[in-house]
Amino acid sequence: MILAINDLKLSIAGTPVLRDVRLSLDAGEVYGLLGPNGAGKSTTIAAALGLLPADGGTVAVFGHDPRREPDAVRARIGVLPERNGFYDWMDGPAYLGFFAALYGREIAAPALEAMLVRVGLAPRPGQRIGTYSRGMRQRLGIARALVAEPKLLVLDEPTNGLDPRGRRDVHDLLAGLARDGTAVLLCTHLLDDVERLCDRVGILVGGRSVAEGSIADLAAGTGRHDRFAMRLHRPLAPETLLPAGLSIVARDDPWITVDLAPRTDPAEMWRTLLFAGWPILEIHRDAGGLEALYLALTEGAAS
Amino acid sequence: MTAAGLIARKEAGELLFDLRGQAWLLAMVTALSAFGLLLIGSAELSLLDNAQVVYHMTGIVTALGALLALVVGVDGIGGERERGSLVPLLLTPASRGGILLGKVGGVAAAWAVMLLLAAPYLWAVGSTGQNLRDGLAVVLLLGTPVVLGFGLLGLGLGARLDSARAALLAGLIALLVAASPLLIGPSLRQSALGRIFDAANPFSAAVNAYDAVIIDSQGLLAQALPLGHTLLWLALMLWFARAAFRRVAW
Repeated sequence: MILAINDLKLSIAGTPVLRDVRLSLDAGEVYGLLGPNGAGKSTTIAAALGLLPADGGTVAVFGHDPRREPDAVRARIGVLPERNGFYDWMDGPAYLGFFAALYGREIAAPALEAMLVRVGLAPRPGQRIGTYSRGMRQRLGIARALVAEPKLLVLDEPTNGLDPRGRRDVHDLLAGLARDGTAVLLCTHLLDDVERLCDRVGILVGGRSVAEGSIADLAAGTGRHDRFAMRLHRPLAPETLLPAGLSIVARDDPWITVDLAPRTDPAEMWRTLLFAGWPILEIHRDAGGLEALYLALTEGAAS
Repeated sequence: MTAAGLIARKEAGELLFDLRGQAWLLAMVTALSAFGLLLIGSAELSLLDNAQVVYHMTGIVTALGALLALVVGVDGIGGERERGSLVPLLLTPASRGGILLGKVGGVAAAWAVMLLLAAPYLWAVGSTGQNLRDGLAVVLLLGTPVVLGFGLLGLGLGARLDSARAALLAGLIALLVAASPLLIGPSLRQSALGRIFDAANPFSAAVNAYDAVIIDSQGLLAQALPLGHTLLWLALMLWFARAAFRRVAW
């Protein structure tokens, strides 16, 4: 287990902020930490990184307590905090080189430039960070988080300020890192990011974990169907049989909207449909469905 | 290079290459120029003997150095926290002690730059007499702990207070009070309250030692007590900055 948080309780200036937070993250997994504003997401991240002391419960990163053994964990963590400041007088490669050196890595200039290219950043030679656009700064922050080749990546709103192409690049980058075994903890309000990237999500409300699991599991837990949009290259024949667990809720050629019954494995279902000859071009989880699920879980917990 | 060395180099770079740092250096040079011109150009001040002129110049260099150190110190933690650049630093494998040491290195670099800027002015007002060498020696020996102490005060206030502006204001008030011996006359300092204030004030200890060495021609070795006083101030401020920096979280 890369990160394990159990029954975490934490107060700031005497005010309880976290009451009962649970979270577990394994290698190669992308975990989405969701919740309304003020739910305690950033505080949970700060506690996981050892920046805030817990009143109760346990936090273990790579099996170590990050407060007591920071040296054992920090060299293996990359972080993109929500408030992401830079040294505006430096240029991008010098900035990355500074942080690489703090992680004990001497990286040559061409390799530093390659790191910038990896996150889609191509500044002019010598261009000061102070002249970067918001999107460029966000990409530089991601490059900084990756500079030590971390095994745990903690990203707070990583696609903030990015254009659609930038968001897609970041999605691809994070998916690739997860495939290579990096654990990613993603804190975001963008449900589309969660839908595209996360294997599991945890939802915080009022400093408590109210749900944790895959999106399909959470949907099943609330008795909701898991909803997907499907694009077909020709309309379905009227006599097409629907497998058990699948129902069509809307048709708008070439799209159809389908619901999967609770506890139905989406991957297994798509395999079944392809074997049955369904003319599927693309499938994605219906964002409206995820939003409805999120609202149901957070409103249910709040009430 | 160690984390402290890397951070100290970054801090020095910020002073020299960032517009904010350059603006402060320009302000220091302007103040030194104005004071130098006053000492040479004013009909009354130009009648001061060479020792008096060097004494005044060393006092102003120390006060400006303390001001620069305070600003660099507040900006090093409070300013970085407000700009969002402190947290990434805290999350590196560098220890808190290493980061603080690097920040102190930045303050020391600022003092070194200040001395380099002040050297021509000290030479301009003191080269005609025999007091320049003593002036430089006493500034290095007693001015350095006073200035570094104000840098540490800035670091501690920046860490302790939520706002960098509030930290700078609190530090400026402390500096103004400490540097008041440069402004108030000797008769006021001879009063009972003035004596108590002088005894507690590290700035007074340094300035009195400047007076003793430059004007009264005492030896540097005779300044052990004021030196101990300024070193105690430095140690106290180091303790304060360390305690405050340990509490910085997110």
